[in-house]
Amino acid sequence: MSTNWASATAIALLLSLSTSAAHAEEVTAWRLFISDHADPKVTVIDAVNGGKLDTFQIKGPASLHRSESGRTVFAVQGSAGVVTGIASGISFEDHGEHGDIDVEAPKLADVEIAGEKPSHFVEHDGDFAVFFDGEGVARIISEKAVLEGKSDFREVKTDAPQHGVAVAYGSHVLLSEPHREKPDELPVGIRVADKAGMQVGGIHACPDLHGEASSGNILAFACAIGLLVVTQGDGTPAIRHLPYADSLSDGKTTTLIGGRGLQYLLGNYGADKVVLIDPTLESDAFRLISLPTRRVHFAVDPVRAKFAYVFTEDGQLHQLDVVKGEIANSLKLTDPYSMDGHWSDPRPRVAVAGDRIVVTDPLQGVLHLVDATSFEKTGDIAVEGKPFNIVSVGGSGQTHEGE
Amino acid sequence: MSRTLKLAALVGVITSLPITLSVAAAENLKVVASFSIIADFARNVGGDRVDIIALVGPNGDAHVYEPKPADAAAVGSADVVLVNGLQFEGFLQRLVEASATKAPIVELTKGGEVLRNTEEEHHHDHDNAAKGEEGHAAEAEEGHEEPHHHHGESDPHAWQSVHNAEVYVKNIANAFCAADAAGCDTYRANAESYGEQIEALEEEIKAAVAEIPEGKRTIITSHDAFGYFEHEYGIKFLAPEGISTESEASAADVAALIKQIRQDKASAIFVENVTNPRLIEQIASETGLKVGGELYSDALSGENGPAATYIEMMRHNITTIKGAILAS
Ligand SMILES: [Zn+2]
Repeated sequence: MSTNWASATAIALLLSLSTSAAHAEEVTAWRLFISDHADPKVTVIDAVNGGKLDTFQIKGPASLHRSESGRTVFAVQGSAGVVTGIASGISFEDHGEHGDIDVEAPKLADVEIAGEKPSHFVEHDGDFAVFFDGEGVARIISEKAVLEGKSDFREVKTDAPQHGVAVAYGSHVLLSEPHREKPDELPVGIRVADKAGMQVGGIHACPDLHGEASSGNILAFACAIGLLVVTQGDGTPAIRHLPYADSLSDGKTTTLIGGRGLQYLLGNYGADKVVLIDPTLESDAFRLISLPTRRVHFAVDPVRAKFAYVFTEDGQLHQLDVVKGEIANSLKLTDPYSMDGHWSDPRPRVAVAGDRIVVTDPLQGVLHLVDATSFEKTGDIAVEGKPFNIVSVGGSGQTHEGE
Repeated sequence: MSRTLKLAALVGVITSLPITLSVAAAENLKVVASFSIIADFARNVGGDRVDIIALVGPNGDAHVYEPKPADAAAVGSADVVLVNGLQFEGFLQRLVEASATKAPIVELTKGGEVLRNTEEEHHHDHDNAAKGEEGHAAEAEEGHEEPHHHHGESDPHAWQSVHNAEVYVKNIANAFCAADAAGCDTYRANAESYGEQIEALEEEIKAAVAEIPEGKRTIITSHDAFGYFEHEYGIKFLAPEGISTESEASAADVAALIKQIRQDKASAIFVENVTNPRLIEQIASETGLKVGGELYSDALSGENGPAATYIEMMRHNITTIKGAILAS
């Protein structure tokens, strides 16, 4: 077993109330992984005490993704043509009645997946699929392989380069279908391939496919005509088209995120609206929520299932109550970040680390910390450069002495 | 994480609060039931004084249910929330938190006879199990005996004993009385008359079991949902999946079951309404048993199905079991 890093740095919080209190202690550890808008690096910050843990040099500016388990963080470096795996150093082991936490130093996982223009990154059940737009190819690797430092990926090809997406769905792969006449445009549908790469069934139409998310046992893709909702069918994935409601104004979703704890999807819908979706319903599935200005970024709260957060270009963070379907609170955090200009200009990103919401402010070089319960700003952390993409990893668990 | 412990604490706190809700006479009591069987009990006790929403509907599997924002809204505006407890509703804690409800969360298995899961630890990841064992060894040296790491979970499927169903009904009447004192006499009278009906049902079940030869009382279903039925009525159930449908049966589990079926000479095999029939069909074909029908384990059928109420469900199950065994 590893050394008990967390308690060694004195962030052990509570003594467990269990009968083995003398031997097990409750430890809370949260880490922020932050990429820079210009520099090829990932900074790791201890979200509990604000200290810097490490900086990893990578090959290009990155967008970041964390695995479901939190054990792995991926830096997708579109311009440098590589995806780098990072072991977060935090892992949990479920013992039913309690969970054990193991905390080690974060480190580069020694896994790189190279290819032209890596873009969308999707995890499903411990398998990661990275889509390489420049090749129209998806490379799929398991979390186990990444943590063992093995670049052990398999490849699935589509018919043409495209701004695409792939999902490793059990023994099948869901692949975006390129626009044949206009390869520069968004994909037009989803194809299901079996283990041998053979197409199963027809193409599921999904014009302007962009945006994918999971919530619980449901996966969805956003299209110009609504959503494709994927569930585990009898042997093969079952795919259902959920059209946008007639009551919605004209628009479409191009970015989707999925609820944790409650099953819902949250998408953009036009520049200054978001839409809450219950993908299990046939009707009344969509609830439109207007924002004061255009949306910059959004994130769900994995702890307080009732809330999601939306950052808008006027510098405000909004607490969205997904049960009521309305904005419950708003908080001014940064100077305005206009959505005019390039989509990938440096603008704030939001992550939730336990009881804190963390918002990057790339032009000021700080992270704003907001208490998730009171929804008040509690502090900030300076980060060199232009802190941009952010993911958080962590939680609470027991550590046992002598292990 | 200690989700289960927190849940227990949460429910404990909420149910022990004095209930201060008062309901205007003209307005029906708003009741949320976690799943269809509880909703049926509540309908029988509440009659036309209550409006009931069931979160997990007919043929739904509460073990793996994913609550929706609309469910949180329903719980948030409920006067009473009726749940099974014993960790049957894995989604309950997050749902209650998201709803911010002030309604009492009433665990209907409280006061009932609860069975511990005596099953072997065959559903667990072996690495974890091994590590858990190390943990025990270390603790034993320190003089600790208190078991943790999965042992002795309570079996939540208490409604499969009619005797326990009577406890559910009493608990519902108490909860309704506390929330709506004006209707209390009605609730108690309803509970009593329904209690008589299910007592008669229990006699029916016992009589049906008595007609099954003792040597033929071992059958197969897909998950361990019938431990209470076995305990009360003497039919032995074997299943590839454990007391929750959450973890899938491993190939080794299935092989062990097939071996056991051959040794125990099981008389019949059944699919369940809440689980995928594929695995049962596979076991049936490998053991030469014919699928004897569909049992309703953790949910009622739809309105037009054969198990639209609890009484119909129990009657359907025993009739199906008896029919399949006697035909075998
Ligand atoms: Zn069950």
